[in-house]
Amino acid sequence: MAQQTTSADVVIVGSGVVGSLMAEKLALSGISVVILEGGPRIDRNHVVARFRHEANKSDFMAPYPYNDWAPEPRKNNDYFQQEGPVPYSASYIRGVGGTTWHWAGMAWRYLPNDFQLQSKYGVGRDWPFSYDDLEPFYYEAEVKMGVSGPLNNGSPRNKPFPMEPIARSWAHQRVQERLSQIGYEVTTNTVARNSRNYDGRPACCGNNNCMPICPIDAQYHGGISAQAAERAGAKIITEAVVYKIEHGADDKIQAVHYYTPDKESHRVTGKIFVLAANAIETPKLMLMSTSDKFANGIGNSNDMVGRHLCDHPRTKVSFDVDEEIWPGRGPVSEYSIQSERDGDWRGEEAAFRIDFSNSNPVAGVTSKLISQGVYGKDLIAGIRQQSSVTLGLKNIVEQLSDPNNRVMLGDRRDSLGIPNPKFYFSVDDYTRRGNVRARRVFQEIAEGLGGTNIKFMDENKFSLANHITGTLGMGNDRATTVCNGEGRSHDHENLFLAGTGVLPTVATVNSTLTAVAVGLRTAEFIMEDLA
Amino acid sequence: MKQTLILSAALALGSLSSAAIAAESDNALIERGHYISTASDCVACHTTEGGAEFAGGKAIETPLGEIFAPNITPSKTGIGSYTYEQFDAAVREGIRADGAHLYPAMPYTAYAKITDEDMKALYAYFMQGVEPVEQASPESELPFPFNIRLSMLGWNLLFLDGKPYQADSSKSDQWNRGAYLGEALAHCSTCHTPRNLMMAEDRSQLLGGASLGTWYAPNISSDVNSGIGNWSEAEIVSYLKSGHADGKSQAAGPMAEAIAHSLQHLDDEDLQALAVWLKSVPAVSDAADTQPADSHGQALADPDAVLMEPLPEDMADMSGAQLYEAACSSCHQADGTGAGGLPSLVNNTVLGRSNTDNLVMAILDGVKYRNEIKTSYGVDMLAFRNELSDAQIAQVANYTLENFGRAEVADISADEVAVLRNGGPASNLLPMARWGMGLGAVVVVLLLLVWVVRRRAK
Repeated sequence: MAQQTTSADVVIVGSGVVGSLMAEKLALSGISVVILEGGPRIDRNHVVARFRHEANKSDFMAPYPYNDWAPEPRKNNDYFQQEGPVPYSASYIRGVGGTTWHWAGMAWRYLPNDFQLQSKYGVGRDWPFSYDDLEPFYYEAEVKMGVSGPLNNGSPRNKPFPMEPIARSWAHQRVQERLSQIGYEVTTNTVARNSRNYDGRPACCGNNNCMPICPIDAQYHGGISAQAAERAGAKIITEAVVYKIEHGADDKIQAVHYYTPDKESHRVTGKIFVLAANAIETPKLMLMSTSDKFANGIGNSNDMVGRHLCDHPRTKVSFDVDEEIWPGRGPVSEYSIQSERDGDWRGEEAAFRIDFSNSNPVAGVTSKLISQGVYGKDLIAGIRQQSSVTLGLKNIVEQLSDPNNRVMLGDRRDSLGIPNPKFYFSVDDYTRRGNVRARRVFQEIAEGLGGTNIKFMDENKFSLANHITGTLGMGNDRATTVCNGEGRSHDHENLFLAGTGVLPTVATVNSTLTAVAVGLRTAEFIMEDLA
Repeated sequence: MKQTLILSAALALGSLSSAAIAAESDNALIERGHYISTASDCVACHTTEGGAEFAGGKAIETPLGEIFAPNITPSKTGIGSYTYEQFDAAVREGIRADGAHLYPAMPYTAYAKITDEDMKALYAYFMQGVEPVEQASPESELPFPFNIRLSMLGWNLLFLDGKPYQADSSKSDQWNRGAYLGEALAHCSTCHTPRNLMMAEDRSQLLGGASLGTWYAPNISSDVNSGIGNWSEAEIVSYLKSGHADGKSQAAGPMAEAIAHSLQHLDDEDLQALAVWLKSVPAVSDAADTQPADSHGQALADPDAVLMEPLPEDMADMSGAQLYEAACSSCHQADGTGAGGLPSLVNNTVLGRSNTDNLVMAILDGVKYRNEIKTSYGVDMLAFRNELSDAQIAQVANYTLENFGRAEVADISADEVAVLRNGGPASNLLPMARWGMGLGAVVVVLLLLVWVVRRRAK
């Protein structure tokens, strides 16, 4: 166990979108930054090659190499241990750039009311700051990531989007036109996807495999910012699995320790530490890092680390539209309905955003027909017909924070002896009532599109969205939150938390952009500390 | 603004005074000067990215150090105090107001052909149409002997033809207009004409193609195989306006920049005239070119075959076909024929020339400037500099040449890629210059500086 020491002003654990963008901002201001990344570098061309060779096109993790020293949840692996009534599932990538290598590029802002859920509706938690406080950082994030979208998406803004919305596909146009006749406004999604050349990357040309990989970088990913951070002077150490956080007598963090894949240990010292290693892996690391003084783990004197886990426990519907709309051209997630994201009823039942799937349906349709015993010419005709009319919808439904829903340390261990994460997860009636309302709206939409063969998802099942929030929640109440509004740990003044885990509410949109905006805001407090 | 005020005042008096008429014609003169400045692409060197127009300060990388383009706005730190005669001497003779010689990074050998009339319009524009900006440019400090500006004198005596463009009465007005635009304003030959040992343009090979160190300015003479003799005038116009000649070629590198800053803004009649003149430039032929650059290659017959080829254990060992499939086919399509504004590689001139540098450069640095070209087709191409190794770039470039282009030149080596990646062949100008002095050939050295002009947009 050789000990080598590295040092920097700021040590960031995790090279995903938030860690990398914070690193770039800090490095550009002249601060020395080291990023420790558990996984390896990811090469887009390798991922594209593996995806094209992969038989199972719907397994978005399959093209990414699996590393037993930095394991991640996979189809049919047992990395996650479950204790609660609802199995918690998520998908994330441990590698340079992180999970935004495969996402749909959704880069929504929250609504102003998402920041004051408790004071406005008497449910959930309030944020320690307002939408207006975050607005400039939202814009900073949008410029860095290259976000395109329509103005009327519900979130106020001071400056126009960096890019105009993506051109609408035929399916988008038809659904928009027909649903406007029954009072539903359909909008083009707000996405970190180029509608024109931006930041040296081309416009989307509609490969329609945003997940598992955009083959041309028209869709932003964290790897782009990891490269930018390196250009700005940050140093990334890969295959460095942080397993211990060390504090001093003054409770300040002194160092983090990491293992190489062959379990050689290294110590990294710094003035300020940032944990940006995903909303499951960060609490896991904090819980593992126990000491006499912090027997429940670093930053966990109030036993709040890993609690308040929220996601979007979605429900879905699919049906056949009465005209050929040909979903699957353009990006996989293209348009949605905003009208259910906020309302007077929000004290009683969950808000949601309705997202239309624009993934190419051919593979799903084909396997379904084959399983029904359809072959030959009938199969070809069936694929053509069904692929042109199949439409799927889901609701991005909010969940109230519940301290019982949590990430814990499991008893299974990985190849380095690091515990796997364990979950208790449940879905309360607030969210279930939201899903009941969603099914009503789905029915209206299906009827508005002349839908037949309407299939709802089982109401006791939930499709989780990988929008992992709450586990490192920020807030003014030191008893129930992990960090303050700056992202600073309540227990350790030189420890900052970043990533989707710090968001105290999950709202009705994908969490990435908000996590980046909050991270860029946190970076300013770090810069003040070091000034 | 001033003119508008005078004009309004005159109109308010109820009659068009002679002052108003003069103001109107001043405006027309300034507007014409603006057009001449655009055609001459002054902005390319004299404006930094995101900086004030013509305020200078842009560093032009040369093998001998940085040359800083001066501020040419009508300000104290710019050229506000220049008389017409001083302005004229700078633009057409390469001599600053203080008598110092300009480095030939300023293409004054081409601008020497600008007519007196156009010079006056250009002067009017720079004095009255350009916003003054107070911003001093850093002084260029080249190593000895290049820091002796006076030595440009000898070179100028040899190579500066100080005569404005003389119309050829045997040719049409349109041809003469094109020749004037091409030779004097747009200074095509600065990049596209090879240089002799003294680094002066070899007029016997006008527009015959030359390397800029990294990008290659191809032969655009009228030779059918080596040049663009098989292009229609409409195709040339389309290329100059949009950076795209359908089924043939897309502008990249410094040419895309020239189109973005300059050529796209020219009137259609002027572009047409340029095309007419280009088609008449004597053919510069290379016997090795046995067919037109846009006639090589064919679509891949079985584009799915690559998916049957197992991926290697170590992904760094992917074959050329696998690299193409992973890195290129999403846009250029599996069979190489492109689609909907995404260029075909089959019959693409970048894969049809004996010089393959532009193919490598496009892969290294991508194809840019599409946002800046109003009527551009398609999209930018990603840069692969940070993703692919020298060996992989050589491998995938050779694969595209073998399958979609000129197979006989598919012999790019990783070393060649490395040289282009690092900015082109190492310069031996400095040692040559210092030895050269001993041999009494100081002049050569300074002439070599001309070279920088051709690298300025690298």
